Amino acid sequence: MIAALVAALPADVDAAAPRPMAGGRKAAERALATIDPVAYAASRNHLDGAVTRLSPYLRHGILSLDEVRNHALAKVADPRQAEKFIQELAWRDYWQRIYLAHPDRIWNDVEVYKTGFDASEYDTELPADVVEARTGVACIDQFIAMLHETGYLHNHARMYLAAYVVHWRRVRWQAGAAWFLEHLIDADPASNNLSWQWVASTFSKKPYIFNLDNVAKYTGHDINTRMSDNRVLACSYEQLSELLFPNLEPAHG
Amino acid sequence: MADLIWLHEGALRRTHPVFAMAAPGTPAIFVWDRARLAAGHVGVRRQLFIAETLAELELEIHDGDATVLLPQLAVAHGADRLLVPASPDPAIIGQLVMIRQAVPALTVEQVADTAFVTLSQEPDLARFFRYWNKARKAALRPHGV
Ligand SMILES: Cc1cc2nc3c(=O)[nH]c(=O)nc-3n(C[C@H](O)[C@H](O)[C@H](O)COP(=O)(O)OP(=O)(O)OC[C@H]3O[C@@H](n4cnc5c(N)ncnc54)[C@H](O)[C@@H]3O)c2cc1C
Repeated sequence: MIAALVAALPADVDAAAPRPMAGGRKAAERALATIDPVAYAASRNHLDGAVTRLSPYLRHGILSLDEVRNHALAKVADPRQAEKFIQELAWRDYWQRIYLAHPDRIWNDVEVYKTGFDASEYDTELPADVVEARTGVACIDQFIAMLHETGYLHNHARMYLAAYVVHWRRVRWQAGAAWFLEHLIDADPASNNLSWQWVASTFSKKPYIFNLDNVAKYTGHDINTRMSDNRVLACSYEQLSELLFPNLEPAHG
Repeated sequence: MADLIWLHEGALRRTHPVFAMAAPGTPAIFVWDRARLAAGHVGVRRQLFIAETLAELELEIHDGDATVLLPQLAVAHGADRLLVPASPDPAIIGQLVMIRQAVPALTVEQVADTAFVTLSQEPDLARFFRYWNKARKAALRPHGV
């Protein structure tokens, strides 16, 4: 079966090469042994920060949240040093609880959009240039390529991509969520779809948006954050709010 | 009483409590259910990850529809109880209902994973921080109690 699956992989994937996040309990235990909750707290928002890449193992029950938390606690002198990391594990627990209690929320808007637009004003399909990583917004195209080529994205890149799709392109979150599920190795209906709803504002008080300064702050030199290559992101938050949500009242007052 | 374990893609480890619930030596089965994987948007990369994990687990692997295969396998193994790691996935829950209907004599039990936190009251799930404020103390202790 593995041979057949390897044969079905895109030509650019070398299944024999050592990959981060290979399947199996042994690979999971190796990844678990390297976690550093203190470094995590300091750097987790950065694309090259000390994130753990444990998500595919947690998603498939190869590791339990309980054992990962216990392991993190054993690595620190005071539990509060592992709090940031454990709080992120708790996000997974939280989404799973919602999935069990309200399975209908996985594909339906939990609340209305707080963007000044009705759900019917959003496209139901992903534009072709998004799927093909040729939006013309350099950093966005790089994140899309990363998703397609590796099956993994840092949390911040997921937030940027989701916000770009929903708010810049005005596409319903469901279309983006289904696309992520097809590509992510950690694809989880609860963590993924409810995060998309959080970005979209159908499960949060306001839409999540970002600007180019924010991308530049959290990414390294390998991500192109030149203004000329990312024009639609190169704005202040006030300008972006007016541009993306013209029906909303200005926030200040 | 003979047991049979159905391990699905949400619980791929030998230390899951479902094994402690079963009699020693109980066979564990994984069904490569293409229709369910496709309906769940499971892409090729994730399929490879799951297959690699299965290769290490040494389970009985069957290719087909879980609702057809599991009743047959339960009969073949002389099992009167099917133990399944608890899942929030409506597709898996729906398949369990169909298996129960197909073999009324078979007891089907879902076994919860070890809890991340044990809370005395159901938390308010309306927003993360309402849940976290209730869960934080236990979450920062070993075993979440
Ligand atoms: C739009 C969007 C889609 C997402 N889709 C998924 C998905 O399909 N599957 C998935 O597991 N996570 C998803 N996440 C959450 C998060 O981005 C990933 O869990 C995390 O980036 C995985 O990388 P890591 O293991 O290095 O995380 P770390 O930062 O090292 O965190 C450790 C673990 O905590 C859990 N975790 C951390 N952050 C979150 C979070 N925000 N929500 C839920 N769990 C979290 C994960 O299990 C993760 O493995 C999504 C987030 C967004 C914004």
